[in-house]
Amino acid sequence: MPKSEITVKLDRVSKSFGEFKAVSELSLAVRAGRIFGLLGPNGAGKTTTIRMIVNITAPDSGSIELFGRHIDPKLQDWIGYLPEERGLYKKMKIGDQLKFFAELKNVKGKEAEHRIDHWLRKLKLTEWKNKRSMELSKGMQQKIQFITAVLHDPDLVILDEPFSGLDPVNVALLKEIVLELKAANKTIIFSTHQMELAEQICDDICLINRARKVLDGSLREIKKSFGRNLVALRIEGENGILGDSSLVSKIEQHSDEMEVLLAPNASPQDLLRKLVDSGAIVTKFEMIEASLHDIFIEKVSEAQ
Amino acid sequence: MRKFLAVVKREYVQRVRTKMFILVTLLAPVVISFFGIAPAVIFSIKPGGPVRIAVVDGTGKLYPRLYDAVMNDAADTEESPTDQTQSIQSGNLRTGLKQITKDRQANLELQEINPAGRSLSQLRTELDRRLQVKELDGYLILPPDLLHDAKAQFFGRNSGDVFTRRSLQKALSEAVRDERLVEANINVKTLQELSKPVELEGVNIGASGEERDSGEGFLLVFAVGFVMYLTILMYGQVVLGAVLEEKETRIAEILFSSVKPFTLMMGKLVGVSMVALTQLAIWGLAFSAFAFYGAGLLTSRGLPIHIPNIPAINFVYFTLFFLLGYFIYSTIYALVGSMVTTAQEGGQLSMPIILLLIVGFYLFYPVINSPDSSFAFWVSMFPFFSPITMLVRIVTQKPPFWQIALSLLIGFSSVVLITWFCSRIYRIGMLMYGKRVSIPEAWRWLRAA
Repeated sequence: MPKSEITVKLDRVSKSFGEFKAVSELSLAVRAGRIFGLLGPNGAGKTTTIRMIVNITAPDSGSIELFGRHIDPKLQDWIGYLPEERGLYKKMKIGDQLKFFAELKNVKGKEAEHRIDHWLRKLKLTEWKNKRSMELSKGMQQKIQFITAVLHDPDLVILDEPFSGLDPVNVALLKEIVLELKAANKTIIFSTHQMELAEQICDDICLINRARKVLDGSLREIKKSFGRNLVALRIEGENGILGDSSLVSKIEQHSDEMEVLLAPNASPQDLLRKLVDSGAIVTKFEMIEASLHDIFIEKVSEAQ
Repeated sequence: MRKFLAVVKREYVQRVRTKMFILVTLLAPVVISFFGIAPAVIFSIKPGGPVRIAVVDGTGKLYPRLYDAVMNDAADTEESPTDQTQSIQSGNLRTGLKQITKDRQANLELQEINPAGRSLSQLRTELDRRLQVKELDGYLILPPDLLHDAKAQFFGRNSGDVFTRRSLQKALSEAVRDERLVEANINVKTLQELSKPVELEGVNIGASGEERDSGEGFLLVFAVGFVMYLTILMYGQVVLGAVLEEKETRIAEILFSSVKPFTLMMGKLVGVSMVALTQLAIWGLAFSAFAFYGAGLLTSRGLPIHIPNIPAINFVYFTLFFLLGYFIYSTIYALVGSMVTTAQEGGQLSMPIILLLIVGFYLFYPVINSPDSSFAFWVSMFPFFSPITMLVRIVTQKPPFWQIALSLLIGFSSVVLITWFCSRIYRIGMLMYGKRVSIPEAWRWLRAA
């Protein structure tokens, strides 16, 4: 396997279908050994971007590099892809089916058998090996499809909405496996529009909307830059401090606590000190971090 | 290569393993022989005994001759059992019909009615009554001037029974002719010997001057064409289904992230074709076994077996052009499969393929008439027609080797080219999310993608 710091690199990539611009001038870099969230609303161009990375469709312009090499069908064997449009051969036995997919990734027979057993055991599907896929529940089928994406031990795993339709137990199971893959220094691209999930597992994100990149970078940094000076507050015996417009610009009262938006240039430290000095009893004082969901909404509506 | 083989293996194993395949392979010969034998058996059923016919002989001298003519036919049939087996084996409809007519002739029962002074109308009333009570099935009235006028009348309950009428007519004509010959003082035996038909033997002069009999080769071409036609009809739909399978099950995208569309298409085509060839091979072996068994049986009875005199190289050509014909039409089915989203749509779109196939078959005739014409040359180069037309040329008037080679080259290149088209249309169609492709759209995609 070729080694590279950057596993996937897109440079001003565009793709149109007729009049419709699916991806426009998109540049991004996916760092090796990290979980990269490709986020955006439906129809933003996530799937088209992924298809260009796995070499199913070619970009109209721009360049794509994988593992530091120009994109090439041979590199497909190092990628594991779980598409959003996914299915299984209905009448084929699970074992045969996985063997077939392994062969398509150039895994030799014996080795394939070994890995199939390993993964079936891991996903608790061993007793289904000789069943036809039409006998499996939808969730089980989805786990089999997940196995096809990781069976050949790829260095880059691309998962398009991998958790949709799974029950919480299986979501937890798959999430754990994804983290294991990361620990084994695999690069993972995770595409979703479910921000809570992305927030839980992604190291880096790229947010795209209407074919264009809206923002990208490490999740931590992005969240930091979106600090919005919002304080969740629960106090007793407040003495008019909150009425000071040089400190507080807006108060929103909830059932047993309030959300306080600090005035521009006011620091949360000042507010806390003044509250304590005034003799109020503070039972909760917490800076509220903007959630990825909020950032997403804000950025998307900003762009429109 | 491993990926290609994986696709071939999957297509092959998944199909050969099905109960359906095993059942069809085993039962088809049974069904086919049933259709071959059943008509002969059914036609030979004679419900209700012989057809009873009364004859009123106004000429007074024709009845014995008529009786002889009817009975002679019957004797002919009984004396030639080999005729029967042949007509059943060849399944030739015309021979079959002759066979039936003979059987029915054997089944006539004549009786002469003595007028005994009664008038014609009295006789008819009497005979009509016997018809009604089913003592008779029909009656024949021969007027006194039959020998000159040559018109007689047949009254029957079952006027739809053409077989009875035809054999009566034939026997009657024979009787009248013989009687006329006697009256004109001509010996019947001499006449028969004199009017013996000429046998015309077909001998071909090839380019190298050797003599070959093209008759059998020609029949073989017909057989090859027919088997090809049946195989395409049966397996074209299977190819279409195979191409559609990943679309319907939504696996296409997973596959395309692992294997090139062309490799996938070729693999499917070859895999399904191997299934077809396996089935044909099994049937071929079964048929040969029966043929050898049958041949052995006939020789042991002292019947001569004629082994067709066909140059060995022609069998190579039969095989190559059979494969070409099969593949070229299969790729068209694959092309249809790559454009549609469901098997039903595919069924409708595949009609024109059948038409093309039939046109190819009919081109047989003009090519036989002038195998050396430029028309024959061009149709035998056109990939959709060449499998049959080139074979016809090979067995009639063998074209130079370069023409055969060129025809094969064009044909197999077309197979590869069409498969390539398929893979492109298929890939883009998949990316467009299950929308049926119009032909202009498909054309644009080919250039765009």
